[in-house]
Amino acid sequence: MNTVIDAHNISKVYNKETIPVYAVNNVHLHIEKGEFTALVGPSGSGKTTLLNLIGGLDKPDEGQVRINGLDITGLSANQLIDFRLKNIGFVFQSFNLIPVLTAKENVEFIMQLQGVERSKREARVKQLFGQIEMTDKLDSRPAQLSGGQQQRVAVARALATKPQFVLADEPTANLDSQSAANLLDIMAKLNKEEQITFLFSTHDQRVIDRAHRVITLVDGKITSDTATVSTTHDNVSEKK
Amino acid sequence: MILIMAWRNIWRNKMRSMVIILSIAVGLFAGIAVLALYKGMMKSRVRTVIDAEVGHLQIHDINFKKDYEPKFVLTDGAAILKTVSSMPAVKLAAPRSITTGMLSTTTGSAGVQINGVVPQLEYEASQLKKKIVAGKVFDPVKNNEIMIGQKLATKMKLKVRSKLVLTFTDTASNMVSGAFRVTAIYKSDNTPLDEKNVYITMTDLNALLGISNGFHEVMLLLKNDNDVNKVQQELKRAFPAYQIESWREISPETDFMVKTTDQYSYIIMVIIMFALAFGIVNTMLMAVLERTREIGMMMALGTNRLKVFSLIFLETIFLTLAGTPIGILIGWGTSAYFNEHGLDLSGMGQDMMSSFGFGTMVYPEFPADKLLAVLLIVTGTAIISCLFPAIKAVKLRPVEALRR
Repeated sequence: MNTVIDAHNISKVYNKETIPVYAVNNVHLHIEKGEFTALVGPSGSGKTTLLNLIGGLDKPDEGQVRINGLDITGLSANQLIDFRLKNIGFVFQSFNLIPVLTAKENVEFIMQLQGVERSKREARVKQLFGQIEMTDKLDSRPAQLSGGQQQRVAVARALATKPQFVLADEPTANLDSQSAANLLDIMAKLNKEEQITFLFSTHDQRVIDRAHRVITLVDGKITSDTATVSTTHDNVSEKK
Repeated sequence: MILIMAWRNIWRNKMRSMVIILSIAVGLFAGIAVLALYKGMMKSRVRTVIDAEVGHLQIHDINFKKDYEPKFVLTDGAAILKTVSSMPAVKLAAPRSITTGMLSTTTGSAGVQINGVVPQLEYEASQLKKKIVAGKVFDPVKNNEIMIGQKLATKMKLKVRSKLVLTFTDTASNMVSGAFRVTAIYKSDNTPLDEKNVYITMTDLNALLGISNGFHEVMLLLKNDNDVNKVQQELKRAFPAYQIESWREISPETDFMVKTTDQYSYIIMVIIMFALAFGIVNTMLMAVLERTREIGMMMALGTNRLKVFSLIFLETIFLTLAGTPIGILIGWGTSAYFNEHGLDLSGMGQDMMSSFGFGTMVYPEFPADKLLAVLLIVTGTAIISCLFPAIKAVKLRPVEALRR
């Protein structure tokens, strides 16, 4: 398998001048293409910080992050913006769609930033909305959608440009059970059909149950890394 | 897409956007009103200068205006008059004999410019007849009648039918005097000129000056204001020995006033817009701060800084330009109304206005010729106003913005 994410001994320290606090402490992480991985841990364990470091939103104080072999820690802010656009899909906790754009425009926006031509954009939008089962909501504004629907659009947006991987920060945190289950079904389906790598932080047991691999983070350190085999809603797992 | 987003973003907070759009409209209206008022005042002043004071062009002996010595007459004045009157661009040519002297009464005296005119021509050339506020026009069968300005009449305590004496030097430098009776008192929009200029008939003046045939000045009124330069050149070619001056050269202060007023009105416009810029900056800054998380999310997804800058820039431009047609429309409507009905500024002080040569009734004119400059000022305001909020937005770090 190909290594998509290679985080090598990365650390992120806050309050360096006074009392150093390690949000991420010497983490070593490999994610292979097509993995469906959950990053779990209590609040303040460093899940979001680790995702930010992997996603190029923040820079580690120590160590390197390589995406498909490219060390992104040396990239400038502008290069990182371009890198994220071309390689990473993001799904944030609180929906984060652009409120003035329709669902379709939200998905198209990313493709337009990449310079994808109109006909290809429309075909991709049609395909993605079919996959997230929201073809009837193309022209709805985010405010007209439920939380679950907004999060499905966010997933479609994350996948629009066929990124190397998708980082999802607590994607089900604000969803009811049914919406969360639907979202997970869609993410699992896309992971399977398009071989998109998913890495999501969560402390939602429903998400953990569906993950192929569960990495536990406590106080910024990985305390366990477990591979599971998951079928739809069954909860069968095996230790790595 | 950035364009669509920018347009929709300004309507996210309708009330706030409407307040700033209306502020811009009112500011623009105020600027246009000032421009229209100044344009109306300047146009009226120029019209007064041309129609009631100096005409479009004047012809003199080349030495006459140095000291207003009466000996420098246009000796072939009749031929000049005949030539200029036959020019198709010329509406009217009026001759004048001119000298300076002393006006005396039993109570005092004052220095005056004595204009010897051909009444029927002068009534039309300087609208002298229209300016009469007391008395009557020159009686063709009477001699030694004089028209004086109201300001001079007040100063010298003169009334219609009052007697006065004019004293001046003739063409041979002899002191001569003549007794005159006030036939009319006139009042123009230019008080200093009213105090200085008196009118008698050319026949009376020439007799006292000892001019048997000729006069000092030919004043020309043209059919079209735009022909001044062309006719001036033609006259210079036809009469190279004489001084041919346009109203701009005769009344340089008016030309200077027109030019500087244009500059002043632009400065006022810039000041109004500068004040408005703070409102725009405040609104856009609030819009950016409210959307910190959203902008951070956009940057996290891969929206580069140029696009974020463009978004804020376009929002500011839209916000500013949305108020522009409203301001222009109100400005145009108001100018059009007062252009037709006039704006009475007598409340501001009639004496003050006329001491600067302005009438109290102003007809503001929509400054269509300055519209491009106005739009440039407005656009410049928008660009300057957007800089601070836009820089604030592009400096956001996605990771910090997303935490908010």
